[in-house]
Amino acid sequence: MAEVLFYVLAAASIACGAGVVVARVPLFSVLSLLGAFFSLAGIYLLLGFPFLAATQLLVYAGAILVLFLFVIMLLDLGNPAELKKHDGRALSGKRLALAACAAGALALAGIVAASSDAAPAGAPATSEEALDALGPLATALFSRYALPFEAASVLLLATMIAVLMLAKRQRAGSDRNGSAGWPWRKGVEP
Amino acid sequence: METRAFLWLLLLFPLLGSLSAALIHFACLSARRAGREPQALTRLAGFVASAAILASFGVALVAFATIARAHEALALESPAWHWIDAGSFQVEIALVVDRLSSVMLLVVTGVGLLIHVYSLGYMQGDPGFAKFFAYLNLFVFMMLLLVLSSSLLGLFVGWEGVGLCSYLLIGFWYQKGWPAEAGQKAFVVNRIGDASFLVGSFLLLRLFGTLDLSDIVGGTSGLVSGRSGELALAALLLFGGACGKSAQGPLSTWLPDAMAGPTPVSALIHAATMVTAGVYLVLRLAPLFASSPSALFVVGAVGTFTALFGASTALFQRDIKKVLAYSTVSQLGFMFLGLSVGAWSAALFHLVTHAFFKGLLFLGAGSVIHALHGEQDLQRMGGLRKHLPLTFATYLAGAAALSGLPLTSGYFSKDEILAQAFGTGGAALGLWIVGMIAAAFTAFYTWRMVALAFFGEERFDFHRVHPHESPAVMTGPLSILAVLALVGGILSLPHVLPFHGLLAHWLEPVTKEATDLLWTARGREVPELSAGTEWTLLGLGAAIALFFARRGFSAYARGPEHDQALRAGRPALARFLERAWTLDEAYTALVVQPVKLASFLLATVLDQLGIDGALNGSAVLAQAVASRQRGLVDGSVKTYALWMGAGAALFAVVWMAL
Amino acid sequence: MKVPTEHVLCLAAILFGLGVLGFLVRRNVILVLASIELMLNAANLSFLAASRHWAGTPGGEPLQGPIFALFVILVAAAEAAVGLALVIALYRLRQTVDLDAANELQG
Repeated sequence: MAEVLFYVLAAASIACGAGVVVARVPLFSVLSLLGAFFSLAGIYLLLGFPFLAATQLLVYAGAILVLFLFVIMLLDLGNPAELKKHDGRALSGKRLALAACAAGALALAGIVAASSDAAPAGAPATSEEALDALGPLATALFSRYALPFEAASVLLLATMIAVLMLAKRQRAGSDRNGSAGWPWRKGVEP
Repeated sequence: METRAFLWLLLLFPLLGSLSAALIHFACLSARRAGREPQALTRLAGFVASAAILASFGVALVAFATIARAHEALALESPAWHWIDAGSFQVEIALVVDRLSSVMLLVVTGVGLLIHVYSLGYMQGDPGFAKFFAYLNLFVFMMLLLVLSSSLLGLFVGWEGVGLCSYLLIGFWYQKGWPAEAGQKAFVVNRIGDASFLVGSFLLLRLFGTLDLSDIVGGTSGLVSGRSGELALAALLLFGGACGKSAQGPLSTWLPDAMAGPTPVSALIHAATMVTAGVYLVLRLAPLFASSPSALFVVGAVGTFTALFGASTALFQRDIKKVLAYSTVSQLGFMFLGLSVGAWSAALFHLVTHAFFKGLLFLGAGSVIHALHGEQDLQRMGGLRKHLPLTFATYLAGAAALSGLPLTSGYFSKDEILAQAFGTGGAALGLWIVGMIAAAFTAFYTWRMVALAFFGEERFDFHRVHPHESPAVMTGPLSILAVLALVGGILSLPHVLPFHGLLAHWLEPVTKEATDLLWTARGREVPELSAGTEWTLLGLGAAIALFFARRGFSAYARGPEHDQALRAGRPALARFLERAWTLDEAYTALVVQPVKLASFLLATVLDQLGIDGALNGSAVLAQAVASRQRGLVDGSVKTYALWMGAGAALFAVVWMAL
Repeated sequence: MKVPTEHVLCLAAILFGLGVLGFLVRRNVILVLASIELMLNAANLSFLAASRHWAGTPGGEPLQGPIFALFVILVAAAEAAVGLALVIALYRLRQTVDLDAANELQG
């Protein structure tokens, strides 16, 4: 039963992935991504990682995807008029071919690696026991992986500052370069 | 060997004189820039320099007297200076005055002093007056270093130093252009000789383990049996160096060109002293040469050939200084001829007398040139004996000595050399014959020169040029040298005369070993001439000299028309002789042109096309590649993304393959 | 229960390839970012599959996989935030989110 479920979810995720790539309307593309997230969360569960599955849904589907939707709505990109504006040139065939080759090569590499004999047989993929029990996970996070944890928090702080600066609306009439400037540029006309 | 510290004064005085004159020269330059003309200062340079040489001459006299008073052969040595200390290679430089170098010492300082005094008058008014005396003193310093060094290395330092001063002094008037080239030619040709000298000294170092001259001389006899081949090679290489310095054989081309320098320079350096350094070198290392007959043979062949070459070329020269230059080349050949038959003291004797009469002749020629405001062409002189009486009289003395008229110093010295060649017999007879021919030529060209310059009608424009006698400061040295040229024969009269062989006797302690090696070690007797033979040879020499002198004089007494006649009669021969046996042309064709061709090839083909081409080509290549590559960075994110993807894919493929 | 690990890894490879394709092909910046998210997810999947594969064997770190995947999610969130902020800034400048709009190089 679990195997069947796995293969179904796998097919769904591939379909959603294709949707991300192919869809003309950006909104549909992002929604396909959502579908992919869901399928993958299910697969994580089957693999025995419930916490990761939950985190995936919470963060990816619940925050990141929402962010994407916010931006798409904000910029009004799903509008057919907008779409017409962005249509411009069609996808050049050469570029598509090149991209397909690149992507294909990478996928192929992964598949070949996966099925190589070098990987010794281990436990089969699906299982019922949870491998990411919260207790040990939390302990590990605060002991052995404390440094990456703290670094990650710094990263988030930096991200917040960066986003604030980037998205700050320019005040009309203010000096785009900042009124202070470097001390030795005082008095120099730009 | 006794130690005398004062010997270093011999070098110190000229060095200080040179430095002082140099400082005065710089002071004069700055005075001139300020607009003043520093006459007193300039004259001071001359006095300081001459005083320095006078002081050295005084010390030389003291040293000579010390040696002369001693009963046995005494040599004075200065405290040594330890120069090189490199394990097994040690070099100590000391100044050694023995019987040989004392003679050279007196010649260098004495004749040098006279020429310094002469230059006070000759160079007057020249803007480089002080510089001239600085160079002259430096030259004397170097020459003394050469003569007095106890080590071959010190000798070589002096050797190079005189070459340097020669270059500086030949090119003294470099603004005129050709003197600079002449100086360069002198230096380059000398360099070839120096290379030979160096290799020879390397060989000597290997043979003897030291470059100390007394050690080499002393150790030669020990090595004769085993390593005579190497000894001969070393001797030949050193002789090669001597050829460069003494303008023998193919390396003689620089001396005529060196006449571009001021006449006192020609007198001092290119007649009396520097060119005799080669003779001195062979004399110093006489045992080395004596130990190898093949080396002596080469010395004799080259010397005799050069004697004939110089004399024949002088027959056709128009420039009075060039006559004297080729004459010097020829007379140096005589000296080497003497050395090759073991006539050591005869060669030294001729060196001394040559310094007297050739120095005199050059100074006299300088007086003539000075009087005629720079005219050097014999065909434009004439009748000067009325205008320059003192110069004329002294010039006669010099010419008499050069041509070997009886009882002059040159007569006795030339005769001694030729007599010893005759007495040696065998192959040396050939040398004797050629030497006699050269002597005949010598008489001819000498009196041709005298006739053209001082007799006949005046071929110069009297109204433009008023020749008048030179000042006393110039005629004084002329007179002294004239006296020496006439009576200097006393130094070494032939055996048939009383007071004979003074110089030979004086030199005997130094030359004994060489004579031994040459004769007795081979089981032969030292050649002795019977009284009858000697008288015959004396008479023969006198007859040839007088005969050819008269022929030369009478042919040209009225003017240079005889030259045209000779030229018309045998144009090819005349041209050949006039152009110094086309030696310069041969050099140009055989050496200079191939070198120029090679450097042209290297410059254009290898350097421009090859190296520059490769460099520029690589730059062009880099530029081409870069401009193609620039297209990649077109600002379009999707292009960047494409390339990133391609790179990742390539990486994956490679990883898969491996 | 017995899905072989190779199949999971194959799935991850295919998803990754799709992500690359989208990254290279799409002209809309936002959708390029979405493709990047897809790629990151595929990576996560392979991490977890491997972690499961080696779970029973001694000497391994059983929690490395999930921890790593956790951090990947975290970083993906940060990166998406910054990327979208950039998109907004680009939109303000050029009034479009076409990739080609951000091209001032003369090349």
